[in-house]
Amino acid sequence: MTSQNRHSSSFRDPSGFVFVNNDIIKRSISPLYFEQYNLLKSTGFFKKLQNAGLLIPHEELLASEEEIIIQPEQISFINYPYEWSFNQYKEAALLTLKIQKFALENGFSLKDASAFNVTFQKGKMIFIDTLSFDFYTENSPWRAYKQFISHFFGPLLLAKYNGLESLKLMNSFIDGVPIKMVSSMLPFKTRIHPFLYSNIHLLAKFEDKHNEDYKGESRSSNLSKKAQLNIIKGLYDFIKKMSLERSSEWGDYYDKTNYANDAFDQKATIIDNWINQLKAKTVIDIGGNDGTFVRKINQELKEALVCDIDYNAVDANHKYVKTNKETFMLPFVFDILNPSANIGFNNTERDSFLKRIKNYAPDATMALAVIHHMTLSGNIPFEMSAEFFSSFSKYLIIEFPKRNDSWVKRLLKTKGEFKAHFDFYNIGNFEANYSKYFEFIEKLAIDNSDRVMYFYKNKKN
Amino acid sequence: MIHFLYFDPGLGAMIIQAIVAAVAGVILFSKNLMFKIKTFLGIAKQEDDVFDDIDVKDSDLESKSKSDITK
Repeated sequence: MTSQNRHSSSFRDPSGFVFVNNDIIKRSISPLYFEQYNLLKSTGFFKKLQNAGLLIPHEELLASEEEIIIQPEQISFINYPYEWSFNQYKEAALLTLKIQKFALENGFSLKDASAFNVTFQKGKMIFIDTLSFDFYTENSPWRAYKQFISHFFGPLLLAKYNGLESLKLMNSFIDGVPIKMVSSMLPFKTRIHPFLYSNIHLLAKFEDKHNEDYKGESRSSNLSKKAQLNIIKGLYDFIKKMSLERSSEWGDYYDKTNYANDAFDQKATIIDNWINQLKAKTVIDIGGNDGTFVRKINQELKEALVCDIDYNAVDANHKYVKTNKETFMLPFVFDILNPSANIGFNNTERDSFLKRIKNYAPDATMALAVIHHMTLSGNIPFEMSAEFFSSFSKYLIIEFPKRNDSWVKRLLKTKGEFKAHFDFYNIGNFEANYSKYFEFIEKLAIDNSDRVMYFYKNKKN
Repeated sequence: MIHFLYFDPGLGAMIIQAIVAAVAGVILFSKNLMFKIKTFLGIAKQEDDVFDDIDVKDSDLESKSKSDITK
């Protein structure tokens, strides 16, 4: 076996790197890290964390003098920090702290605290960077502390005080949101809060003061383990209790859609029948809200990606997943008008949404109550949305609200005098454009509504 | 220890940790004290939360094969 095909995201840590071999993700460990790896293994540290469901399980494939190769359990769809809702972000932060506390108690320490070390799998956050552990040196401070603040605590605070959209900042700052910037964006009251003052504002000041000090660690500092545990426990308690300033009431969305109950049920039945015909095991619901329609599918799904632009809907879905201990649902935040791009060094460190979803190739895509928003709010022509859906879907279940639908009327009204430019929004044009990319299978009108459901097969496969 | 750093841990951040830890220590101590007082007076409320406790439970650390046998 050769550890070629180094994954483009894996170059920062000299302990080893991730590579792809026959579409399977594997990890090569360098001799530099052998001592740590062997002790983590022999003391049962890895096993314990894996049993507790905190660390991704792996098997050792090869151990030579030059390298050790391990194969972690594969994750079908990786989602990134800038695609998490507030509580998903909280869960990732808490997991990182929990692991650090456990590591300290066992003589190890997390050498980094990147938000990209964590992702969602089977209904919960899991730590995926197996090589993040190093020996704990007595009385040394936590070197990943600043990284934790800029990757987790800073973005969470910005989301709390400045709005949930702040969580998207990680898309621009792949190395974490600068602490000085976090400090400058927080309201004054956070300066008189001792915990926030010391963790953010004072930290920003210290960093500013010392970043010109090229002597580096000439002033090496000491910190007892007890003191480090205080930091970790303090952050854990604070983050666990964090809630949004304006916790918006979510949950009445389906009341606003002017659906009659029977139309709602009929829609669910249509989807269920089509998914059954396909024997679909994996689906993505674009604009899936809190996952209501996916949960109404009676077939057993292996995995359902449910994304929405509404942070609160994704949060509500996340809460359902946690409370009901669901393992098949993967909620995340997604803006169809601006899906996550390729970012990082060489633009290949983190993959775009499109690249990930093409690799994932879900059996079916559901796009319910989405097309009118795409067309009338996003001004995306039918042909372009059809091309988008056809780039990753084998089958498409799409709902078309006609011009008399109250939402469509409302969206058209906002166009004012340009309303006439949207005369193309009708069922004939929709069908004509979608037929260029999709083979028509079936359409069903929902009774007592102005909505029609379409079932399409991709012409490409 | 892996000596060369592949990210900047921040010299300021290394120095400040003593202060941060002291502040956190005081807060944790006073919270703990308040909790004890509230429990004594019977006004401590149970938290309704989907998130775990910071401590990894001993029962979670056991091998999964064990729980397979008992199921």
